[in-house]
Amino acid sequence: MDTLINVAHGFGVALQPINLIYCFIGVFIGTLVGVLPGIGPISAMSLLLPITLSGTPESGIIMMAGIYYGSMYGGSTTSILVNIPGEAASVVTCIDGHQMAKQGRAGPALGISAFGSFFAGTFALIALMLVAPKLASVAIAFGPAEYFSLMVLGLVVLTFLTQGSMAKALLMACVGIVLGVVGLDSITAQPRLTFGRIELIDGIGLVPVVMGLFGIAEVLINTEQVIKRDIINTKITHLFPSREDWKASAGPMSRGTVLGFFLGILPGGGAVISSFASYALEKRLSKTPERFGNGAIEGVAGPEAANNAAAGGAFIPLMTLGIPPNVVMALLLGAFVIHGLQPGPLMITQNPGLFWGIVASMYIGNLMLLVLNLPMIGMWVQLLKLPYNILFPLIILFTIIGVYCSSNNIFDVYVMIAFGIIGYFMRKLGYEPAPLVLAFVLGPMLENNLRKSLILSQGDLMTFVQRPISAVCLAFAVVLLVAPLLPALRKKREMVALDEGV
Amino acid sequence: MSNDTDVKFRLNNSELWGGLIGLALGGFVIWSGLKLKLGTINDPGAGFVLFYTGILMCLFATSIMIAALTEGGPTFGSRWVNTRWTKPLLVIVCLVAFSFALNPLGFLLSSIPLMLLLLRVVDPVRWSLAVPIAVLVPLGMWWILKRLLLIQLPSGLFEIG
Repeated sequence: MDTLINVAHGFGVALQPINLIYCFIGVFIGTLVGVLPGIGPISAMSLLLPITLSGTPESGIIMMAGIYYGSMYGGSTTSILVNIPGEAASVVTCIDGHQMAKQGRAGPALGISAFGSFFAGTFALIALMLVAPKLASVAIAFGPAEYFSLMVLGLVVLTFLTQGSMAKALLMACVGIVLGVVGLDSITAQPRLTFGRIELIDGIGLVPVVMGLFGIAEVLINTEQVIKRDIINTKITHLFPSREDWKASAGPMSRGTVLGFFLGILPGGGAVISSFASYALEKRLSKTPERFGNGAIEGVAGPEAANNAAAGGAFIPLMTLGIPPNVVMALLLGAFVIHGLQPGPLMITQNPGLFWGIVASMYIGNLMLLVLNLPMIGMWVQLLKLPYNILFPLIILFTIIGVYCSSNNIFDVYVMIAFGIIGYFMRKLGYEPAPLVLAFVLGPMLENNLRKSLILSQGDLMTFVQRPISAVCLAFAVVLLVAPLLPALRKKREMVALDEGV
Repeated sequence: MSNDTDVKFRLNNSELWGGLIGLALGGFVIWSGLKLKLGTINDPGAGFVLFYTGILMCLFATSIMIAALTEGGPTFGSRWVNTRWTKPLLVIVCLVAFSFALNPLGFLLSSIPLMLLLLRVVDPVRWSLAVPIAVLVPLGMWWILKRLLLIQLPSGLFEIG
């Protein structure tokens, strides 16, 4: 009953005209960046992070969340019609989605992808409503040792899932922690790594770092290649799938939804891994696995449902524990912090309007996305023709303006340009920026919780293994750290390695 | 895979240099941690986390270097093979020039040439389109920020904008 009252309260917040507008802007931009290859939700969210300052916390976070789950919808359009994934979570949709389009079945592929996404998004939200308050009440009992170990686990899982060498990913995570603790020490108020610059006393800003690493670096990487697009030009019909299509897709959609939701909750997991896992599961369960790769609708329905369910599930650790499970959620945490809010177990009780408002807005956003992605599909197809030689300079200009507006400080523009150049060389040398950004956000929390737990336990390191939750997290982290040393597990890791850690 | 990546030991092995940079950074972080004071295990100081993170960085960097020495790795050149490497280089030059010009010239006088250069440098947009975009977009953004959102962008020594 309490949940229903809270949900009603949430809809009261989400249905306010200003929040509806922000929600629409969020899902619209999300679909846009999902459709456009080369720009992912991370770049878009980092670009728009400063804009969240202008409104209420609810409005800003509703918009940011909309970009994330909106990009999951939009990404499939490009995968199906152009065979280029609009964002990392849609890579697997290319395999069967584009084959369907080539066979003249682009409509059913797009349709099942949108309906599957809607179904999964709805399930994830209902589960979020039910699970989050329960988990939050458990999380109140968490001490600094548990938080520290959970954050260590989150970072290790992300480094495990990052493409390429794990040593490089771990090195990046360490660099992120160091960058995160720049500025005044929260306990002794000593300046750290400020090099006498007054601008660094408050630390390095999240906005310039993320915009540099994901916005500018992304543009630099993209300018290296001529982006070719082979768009399916036939008229898109039969967006509403046939009875046979529904029958074939019902199972994969349901399994993908449940699998995606649980993988989304896990720290370091997320939309990309869940879409791959769903595809592998459906291929294994199928009586005709040879159809996969040749236009099997199950290969579109399962992964698309999985990545949307994962996007919803990823909100649980952030909202209940205050720990972002992936980089996108780290950016969302940044938006909370900009407004002086700290997500965590107390947020649901202390700020119910915000929590339930965001949850309700996600449902409204899912409905908006269904309308945006089916009747308006023609508009997105036209957008796929937007020339990149105009788009990239505009992105650079908007990142510069965005960074400047977030702090009114030219120094942050310099920081962004520096991180853009560093990010470009990092990627060229095989160092992924995702662990750096997550560690950058978690760094100060990680340090605080480590120092607090050591002070409380009077320097007894056993406190981390005597507390069951902390011990389980650390044990799991150790297993993942050792895993790449074993050839069989190393192979498995390479199979699930992610591009951006989302 | 090119022959470059099969070489066991080579001075221009990019993996080796990546590891060396990581090692140097780790060393610097350890030194910074020590300078800030480590404190004790039951009362960690400001340099405690930095010091131990620096040690971890050195460990990971060393493992990258060992892998580079034992397994070899791609050369710097091979990382840019079959790419239009001059394009990102030109964008970087434009951005560095912009960062030097922003403070003295202000937003408008520095961003219009930046846009024009970017539009003409990467995949040249025709002049008749590049010039209006390069002028109107920064001008439009400046107007929206200054007039509607009341955000003052840098106006530089000439106080333009």
